[in-house]
Amino acid sequence: MSITLEQVTKRYQGQPVVNDVSLSVAEGEFFVLLGPSGSGKSTLLRAIAGLVDIDQGSISLHGNDVTHVGARQRGVGFVFQHYALFRHLTVAENIEFALRVRRMKAADRRARRAELLKLVALEGMDQRLPAQLSGGQQQRVAVARALAHKPQVLLLDEPFGALDAKIREELRWTIRSVQRELGITTVLVTHDQEEAFALADRIGVMNLGRLLEVGVPRDLYARPATRFVATFLGAANLLLAQQGPEGIRFGSTPLDATMRQPLSAGREHEVVTVLRPEELELAAQREQLSSSYIGRATVEELQFTGAMERLRLRLLDNQNAVQTSAGNGAEGRIEATRTQPERRALPLAIGDTVTLGARRMHVLPTPLSSFVVYGTDDAATLELAQAPLLTTLAARMKTRVATCTGAPGCTPAAMPGVAVTAATAGATTHAAELLRTGANEVLLLNAATDVPQQICMYWMDEAARHATLAVAASLLRHLPAEAVCIAVAPAGRRDPRRGQALRALLDARSEARAAHALETRTELVPGEAPQALVDYLATQPSPLLVLGSADIAAAQGALEHLAARLPALPVMLVYREARH
Amino acid sequence: MRWRVERSVIPGFGITFGFATFFLGALVLLPLTALVMKGAGMDWTRFFAVVTDPRALASYRLTFGASLLAALINIVFGFIVAWTLVRYRFPGRRFIDAIIDMPFALPTAVSGLALTAVFAGNGWIGQYLEPLGIKVAYAPLGITIALTLIGMPFVVRTVQPALEELPRDVEEAAATLGASPAYTFFRVILPALAPAVLTGFTLAFARAVGEYGSITFIAGNIPYKTEITPLLIIIKLDEYDYAAAAAIGCVMLAISFVMLLAINLLQAWGRRRISGAVRR
Repeated sequence: MSITLEQVTKRYQGQPVVNDVSLSVAEGEFFVLLGPSGSGKSTLLRAIAGLVDIDQGSISLHGNDVTHVGARQRGVGFVFQHYALFRHLTVAENIEFALRVRRMKAADRRARRAELLKLVALEGMDQRLPAQLSGGQQQRVAVARALAHKPQVLLLDEPFGALDAKIREELRWTIRSVQRELGITTVLVTHDQEEAFALADRIGVMNLGRLLEVGVPRDLYARPATRFVATFLGAANLLLAQQGPEGIRFGSTPLDATMRQPLSAGREHEVVTVLRPEELELAAQREQLSSSYIGRATVEELQFTGAMERLRLRLLDNQNAVQTSAGNGAEGRIEATRTQPERRALPLAIGDTVTLGARRMHVLPTPLSSFVVYGTDDAATLELAQAPLLTTLAARMKTRVATCTGAPGCTPAAMPGVAVTAATAGATTHAAELLRTGANEVLLLNAATDVPQQICMYWMDEAARHATLAVAASLLRHLPAEAVCIAVAPAGRRDPRRGQALRALLDARSEARAAHALETRTELVPGEAPQALVDYLATQPSPLLVLGSADIAAAQGALEHLAARLPALPVMLVYREARH
Repeated sequence: MRWRVERSVIPGFGITFGFATFFLGALVLLPLTALVMKGAGMDWTRFFAVVTDPRALASYRLTFGASLLAALINIVFGFIVAWTLVRYRFPGRRFIDAIIDMPFALPTAVSGLALTAVFAGNGWIGQYLEPLGIKVAYAPLGITIALTLIGMPFVVRTVQPALEELPRDVEEAAATLGASPAYTFFRVILPALAPAVLTGFTLAFARAVGEYGSITFIAGNIPYKTEITPLLIIIKLDEYDYAAAAAIGCVMLAISFVMLLAINLLQAWGRRRISGAVRR
């Protein structure tokens, strides 16, 4: 491996900007780090170059640990967004800078410079000053300068950010061809998904300091694992559907979808499906659809974009089940794109009603689909629904928060999603009741609960481990918190239970890594559960506990113990019936 | 050189050019010409005798020597002060930033008085230096210190904005290319700031050459030893020897003009190199 990052964490003023990132980039690979601004991608790149010190983890280049080696000794090639050329030096002197530092002979320097200028197609520009070059030419010089000392790794930090579209496109080709020719391991940082698709062998998508998913562009686009990747890589409609024993249904219509999961706990549950705008089929009648039917919709907006036509449609039923990547307030709206031939076959105007079909859908492997807040009266329920943690989660997950105040038929069986209830006295009985009547997850919080800094995972039975990790991973993708797996074992070193607990932690960590691309810390707490858990959580800065259980009565007992001692602790209760 | 007129928000090239020439002519060139005329009023042998009088020669040496030394000290310390103010955030930064300008606002006689109080043989610092054989007040060293004080803000205020505009990624680029901190400073940062440093140097130097108020207190004004040229001119005026005063003034003018012109040319060359004003 050319570049290996192990659990790299960087904090600014206590806040993790790069959060537990592990990554391997192969020799000669073109890797693109993609993410919105503030996602930590640039910080991570600068950490690889040695321009930023990391707080935890390790960085290796070609098998050598360089975690504590300065930028100067790492010798990577680095290209900055604003070129960072030495303005008082000529192009030739800029390119030869690294060689001069290394005391290379003048004749050798000249030869190397000629070679590099040819590579970036700037022959004859040797004696120009940076100010006499265009932006695109300056960035070419910066690339040549970064390559002069034959680094084994080339890092580019938004190299096209300051250039206009045409030059950007041209420089993109140059960089890709230079990279192919030299076979140099390259990491490029960008926020432009089109750029990532055009250049990358593999893409890593970052958000809130976490590396969410890594994969080949085609796979990431077709089969994202997270909502963020689904909506950040191109446009996507997110639909809430039901997974029952017979397959996936949207409302009452069954759907064809890729990736079916086994029913967990043998119960029907809600899933999140991704429907790309170009996979939508529009027809006048249901019989004319060649794909599976979703519903009827009216045309709200039409946009001509050259090769494609973009439409915004409003679904006539099942409205609350849809969110588009357009974000907040777009509930019930679906985005579609059509090619010109499709448009000619069925011309549409604003206000027309059409039938929608989905050619291809993808089910996200997330256990958290939507939220339902349960309360005794309207005021309390609404207040709980406004808890900062809940609104943050709902906004970032682009999902709905429904409310339910004791109306008949208002049970988890009828209202799919994560049940949310107030962490007041007697809440544990209510939570147990919700689990019995069909909820798989219950979130206990109060109206003031804010975003946690730490998400702690603890499962009471190994049978619940898989689900606990999945729920925690899903939460962590939307919250900038640290992940900690907890096991409890008696303090005695010789106690056999200690070994078991350690093994369980290691298993959990590799499962989190393999199944959810999630890096976690592990913590072996001495004592007896649940008191040991209380002692540990009391020392942590704003934790959230994900508590997994395969037994409702045991979960209720543990919850009562916790609630009595840590009343402000938010708990996500995960229940999975053990299979026999 | 061709005339080049660009459209701008201030109307009329004619008016602005006319005003600029009038201003320069009436307020700068005319008095200077009068000075030269006054000096030329006497015959050449007397002129030569006055300006090469040993007492005058000693004063030129002192004035230009101390000014040059003070300006050199200022570019080193002024640079460090500017660097500290731009690159670090510390409590009291704004206060220090404001204090820098104090020598601008203070009447120079006050600075001279204050410095004498500190550096005289019985002053706060002077009392410890005197036993060591270091005489500051009433010595060339005191003159240099006074000139350094009044020149400091010029260097800080010219280097500061240039330093603020210097992109940090340039230093990072040098580091990734393998340059040591010292190499980066001397080959990357300093050349980029050279024009600003030179401007600061010029201003501090020019200010020092013309300085009079603060020096008279701390210098002690001993002929041949601590007598600066501006003071010599005052003495000539007190003796109603206007022609001699003008003659010495002309010499000062000539030396200053040559030095400032040389620095300006150097600067213009450096600036062109960086901004690439000349396009090929």
